[in-house]
Amino acid sequence: MTSTKSEPTVPAAGSRARRSLLAAYAPIGIAGALLALVPLSIGESRLLMGLAVGGLLFAAYAIAFNVIFGSTNQLFLCVGALAGIGGYTSGILADRAGVGMPLAMVVAAVVAAAVGGVISWIAVSRSLGVIFTGIITLAFSLAFHNLLLGQRDLTGGETGLVIQAGEGSLLRELVPPYYGLLALVVGYLIVYRLLQMSHIGWAFRALRDDETTAELAGVDVARYRIYAGIIGSAMLGLAGALYAHTEGYIGPSTYSFGEVDVRVLVMLAFGGIGTLLGPLLGAVVFTVLDEVLVEFGQLRVLIYGGLIVVLFLGFKQGVITAITRLFGRFGGQRPA
Amino acid sequence: MLEVSGLSAGYHGEDVVHEIDFSVASGEAVIIIGSNGAGKTTLFRAICGLGPVSTGTVTFEGKSITAMPVHKISRSGLAYVPAERHLFPQMSVGENLGLGAFPRAPDPATLKFVLDLFPRLAERQNQHAGTMSGGEQQMLAVGRALMSRPRLLMLDEPSTGLAPKLAQEAYAALEVLRRRGMTLLIAEQQVPLALKLADRGYVVENGRIHKTGTTEMLANDPDVRRAYLGVA
Amino acid sequence: MKAAVLDGLVLGLQFGLLGVGLTLVYGLGGVLNLAHGALAVVAATVVALLMDAGLPAGAGVAAGLAVAGALGLLIDSTLMRPVYRQTGEERVLLGLLLTLGVAFMIDGFLVWRFPLRGLSLNIGGEAISILGVRMRSGSLLASVVSILVGVLLVVFFRWSRMGRAIRSVIQDEEGAQLVGVNPVAARRLIFGLSAVLAGLVAITRSMTSPVQVTAGIDFTILALIVTVVGGLGSVLGAFLAGILLGIVNTISSFYIGTYITTIMLLLAAALTILFRPAGLLGRRR
Repeated sequence: MTSTKSEPTVPAAGSRARRSLLAAYAPIGIAGALLALVPLSIGESRLLMGLAVGGLLFAAYAIAFNVIFGSTNQLFLCVGALAGIGGYTSGILADRAGVGMPLAMVVAAVVAAAVGGVISWIAVSRSLGVIFTGIITLAFSLAFHNLLLGQRDLTGGETGLVIQAGEGSLLRELVPPYYGLLALVVGYLIVYRLLQMSHIGWAFRALRDDETTAELAGVDVARYRIYAGIIGSAMLGLAGALYAHTEGYIGPSTYSFGEVDVRVLVMLAFGGIGTLLGPLLGAVVFTVLDEVLVEFGQLRVLIYGGLIVVLFLGFKQGVITAITRLFGRFGGQRPA
Repeated sequence: MLEVSGLSAGYHGEDVVHEIDFSVASGEAVIIIGSNGAGKTTLFRAICGLGPVSTGTVTFEGKSITAMPVHKISRSGLAYVPAERHLFPQMSVGENLGLGAFPRAPDPATLKFVLDLFPRLAERQNQHAGTMSGGEQQMLAVGRALMSRPRLLMLDEPSTGLAPKLAQEAYAALEVLRRRGMTLLIAEQQVPLALKLADRGYVVENGRIHKTGTTEMLANDPDVRRAYLGVA
Repeated sequence: MKAAVLDGLVLGLQFGLLGVGLTLVYGLGGVLNLAHGALAVVAATVVALLMDAGLPAGAGVAAGLAVAGALGLLIDSTLMRPVYRQTGEERVLLGLLLTLGVAFMIDGFLVWRFPLRGLSLNIGGEAISILGVRMRSGSLLASVVSILVGVLLVVFFRWSRMGRAIRSVIQDEEGAQLVGVNPVAARRLIFGLSAVLAGLVAITRSMTSPVQVTAGIDFTILALIVTVVGGLGSVLGAFLAGILLGIVNTISSFYIGTYITTIMLLLAAALTILFRPAGLLGRRR
């Protein structure tokens, strides 16, 4: 009597596989389509479009951080710095070294990826735990900030850098940058989903659940951590570079810990660490919230602090997971 | 003096000991025999508060200590010497002993008694606990527990890791304590020395009590002899 | 050069005191308190406000320290409870994030409510000559206070029963519980004490240069660097590292420049983590 026990599922060709593929990427498509409609209502306002672009930028940052921290528990407190490496590298190469803008952005992403990969490699080879990884990346972030301030000739110091590459192109208009960044965000979401569904994603989940067991099961934890570091950092570098060329101006505070890392942390925590759309949701909500709170001035910092406390105390799983759980209770099992 | 009733305890939601009932009367010396993994340590940790209790109660001198925090239990006359000893490695013998009496100041008479009982400790009063040998650390752990003048002394595998001669010395010291009226509860894997010291014993296997009786009975029980006394 | 070294020493003593509080809280509970600097600034702000209102400096300082200490006790007894319930890396992460949130709450409140405030304690008097170097009385007083407090701390931890009990929690928490030490109470006490120490540093600092309401983050980062280099959990290590880094800081700022100096200090912390994670005097956990 042949056994009907489950065999390892091999995605079969045919409509069944196509349907599950659709289900996996549909949320991205829907989110992308919805966001694509935004300029239709606010496309006239310079202020609002600027905010929207910023929101998408932070969504990109948050997705990248989700890859690094959400997938492999590496507390990289240098998100801003990695994006800054991308932004400054691309700007300086394009303006001063005559490198074409697209190439400059690619190089910037590669440089950021290399730095992130090195950081991961260091953390992994010295077995640095959460605290030391956090401290070292924080130190790196601060050192980078000071480097920007100190190396006036190269980086413009405190006054920042005006970036000419991109001037006159679509990137400097009102609406195209939005779509450019939207394309980036959708692309990142697709990358994230691809990772999730690949063997890399499986390794990520294994090592996040229980590192020792994963090691025993043959997962090369070190290697996958470095992969995550490289991929996430490349995303950060590219996003930072794209932003630099659309804005036309960057400064040390554009990529500082307080401006970037803290926000990204809150956005990701709110949306849901380790979920697909969590970073996007968090970015959207907090971009809107930021604007709403602008009249409170410095009180915003207090409110952010309070939100961090509340979020990590009670709401650690984030909104997306909460919603999923809710639906799970009503609609049966949902694939992880 | 100590009553354990229906005690189940374990880790991560899974019980390791199941519905254990036993008691220790004042002045008795009771041993818990069991092999590695039988649940002795889990049981002891649950009793002194270091480990969680799933169900059941522990009563000491009439008061329930089931949900009491460890330090309160330690201050109420029950002293526990764990297998890992948990000494303070960067403090001297003297400082370790002194802290044993916390929150009170160390009583000079008790200190003298402990140092007489363990002359090796007296020789090394200023040595850091972390640099001492296994046997010396064991003595220090027991001595430290004694500094709080406990009425019940619990020891988890006091002879483990000790050379036979040292193990005998340790049990000789425990014998002195017993004769002075101290109530003892000892968990042991290496059973012969413990059987000689104690009055009664329980055999624990797979988290449950399998047998109980006087140590004479246990020493003559064929299963016990086979499993724990290395007699065919 | 001698002046720079002496100045560095003065600064270093304060660095050390700043690190001691942070390292103690970590040693006892595994929490890296990122709100450390914010608590320091709270003390300084309270002193400034009270002195503005006419209170004599002594009373103002006492009040500032008391408020910082009380805030520390409050934070430990409320927000840190869920943190202590976790273990291992979960605890570390949660502790980091919650204290970061608290830091923002305190900093945000202070900057919003007292935007341009700073504390500057003027200690009048002539400059005195020490080892051939003229030192302002502010620096002198700051150093004397730092040394005094440092000695008191060492005496407390080495020779008092309470101090030893606290050390025992750092060295072996289960052992401490078994001898009757209450680790929860120990942690609370130390959290409050570290807040008081942080406040003291801010106040003594203000004797030589004004402490702005925005200085919280700078203090925290400094404390972090000192703690890491000295060894997480080691009081003596924090002092040693503080003095070392203080001297390095002053000499480097004088001869090289501020930005590079900051990078150097950060590098010191990074290199320690990479090559000697236990720090100068810490234990290998």
